[in-house]
Amino acid sequence: MIKLEAIEKSFADTTVLTGIDFEVDKGEVVCLIGPSGSGKTTLLRCLNGLEIPESGRITINGDSIAFSHKQKKYPINNLRRHTGMVFQGFHLFPHKTVLENLIEAPLIVKKQKRAPLVKQAEELLNKVGLLEHRNKYPDQLSGGQMQRAAIARALMMEPDVMLFDEPTSALDPQLVREVLKVIETLAKEGQTMVIVTHEMHFAKKVADRVLFMDHGVIIEEGPAENILVNPEKEATQDFLQLLVDE
Amino acid sequence: MIEGFDNIQWHYLFNPELAYDSLPLLLEGLQITIIIAFSSMFFSLILGLVVAIMRMSRFKIFDLPARLYISFMRGTPLLVFIFILYYGLPVIGIQFTNPIVAGIVGMSLNFAAYNAEVIRSAISSVSRGQWEAAQSLQMSYIQILRRIILPQATRIALPPIFNIFMDIVKGTSLASVITVHELLYSARIVAGRTYESMTMYVAAALIYWAVCIIIGFFQQRLEKRYSRYLYTR
Ligand SMILES: Nc1ncnc2c1ncn2[C@@H]1O[C@H](COP(=O)(O)OP(=O)(O)OP(=O)(O)O)[C@@H](O)[C@H]1O
Ligand SMILES: [Mg+2]
Repeated sequence: MIKLEAIEKSFADTTVLTGIDFEVDKGEVVCLIGPSGSGKTTLLRCLNGLEIPESGRITINGDSIAFSHKQKKYPINNLRRHTGMVFQGFHLFPHKTVLENLIEAPLIVKKQKRAPLVKQAEELLNKVGLLEHRNKYPDQLSGGQMQRAAIARALMMEPDVMLFDEPTSALDPQLVREVLKVIETLAKEGQTMVIVTHEMHFAKKVADRVLFMDHGVIIEEGPAENILVNPEKEATQDFLQLLVDE
Repeated sequence: MIEGFDNIQWHYLFNPELAYDSLPLLLEGLQITIIIAFSSMFFSLILGLVVAIMRMSRFKIFDLPARLYISFMRGTPLLVFIFILYYGLPVIGIQFTNPIVAGIVGMSLNFAAYNAEVIRSAISSVSRGQWEAAQSLQMSYIQILRRIILPQATRIALPPIFNIFMDIVKGTSLASVITVHELLYSARIVAGRTYESMTMYVAAALIYWAVCIIIGFFQQRLEKRYSRYLYTR
């Protein structure tokens, strides 16, 4: 489903990703963990075309882009149309109701008909437990509700892969569960997902595979039990120990 | 010094009879004022939006001309600009047959610079996350701008834009220097005829004020409409 080959990315003079290689299979849930500044967000943003790597190749569901520093413009929508992104800060459109947030992109980008879209949106809202809030503005929702709406909004474009960047980091502790539950449901349904998270219990539960990143490289990867319980590499052990100490 | 309230010559300041009698002429002038003001507002908003977008471009060929334009328009007096436009340009073969058109062109060009700055700052005050979320949903630059950013920027830009609108209404009085028969010009005609110029200036001032009150009313309604999505706790 996803294949990254030798992805490199730097900002000005700091190198953030140094030759990332990994693959994600269809239906697989991959959790990305690692210390702050290790490049997790940047990697996810590359998959969604919000950042452009300097070199390497990204292939998603058959569409492939090879990057080189000589080139500036890429047909980035080829990647984007396979991926849905969920941000740490939700970024719902505040001037639109929950329902309008959901139908906006399919309506405008895909030029789909309104009535079936509303129906599809209501089904999704029901699924994330927000049906009764469909006519509210984001400002009237709690953080957990906003994030669930944002997930539903991304799902409306029917992406092959869902990308989550610390979806619960901006939430009050009591609101984290409701969001994670929605993601778990998606995992059970076989949705392919890449999730950046600091919630280790959650990672253990949903991840088919865990990737540990540090300083722009993938240090270690494998099944959740291996990486989270018995990591081989010292950097991974240190990182997990740090989380336990907190 | 005020020397005894009773001795003030109120008639010198404002003669209601004269004001009333000259009302038809003033209202005729007001029509022209309104035509110039609304057209100028309209064109300066559209041009302002274009300049604002150029100004935000990362390409110098757009950004630099926009900067120069804004700098020039903000740095030159409107009066002088309108004057040159109407009396100076014929020298190079550009002549306005109608001074009203010259007034509209001058005001539109000049105030577009102010609108551009207001629009630019309003657009950049919408968070980057809004752009990114819309991008991640495959929306195009124009779609994002039109459907996501501008509606939010409008709420922020409304108060300063209405300030500009009122400046434009009052600025139309400058068009009298190029013989446009707007409100102030009409007032001056009566003033010259009757030698009661103060009454006419006061009357004109009151009419400008009235127009601005009405505009302010619309500002309130628009502000309400554009912030209805904000939940006041
Ligand atoms: N737009 C940018 N411009 C400059 N530097 C950036 C930019 N975005 C990220 N960086 C830098 O790249 C490095 C990796 O950032 P990134 O956000 O990918 O880390 P992260 O693993 O997501 O960290 P966190 O757990 O704190 O979210 C950091 O050193 C950061 O300062
Ligand atoms: Mg991050």
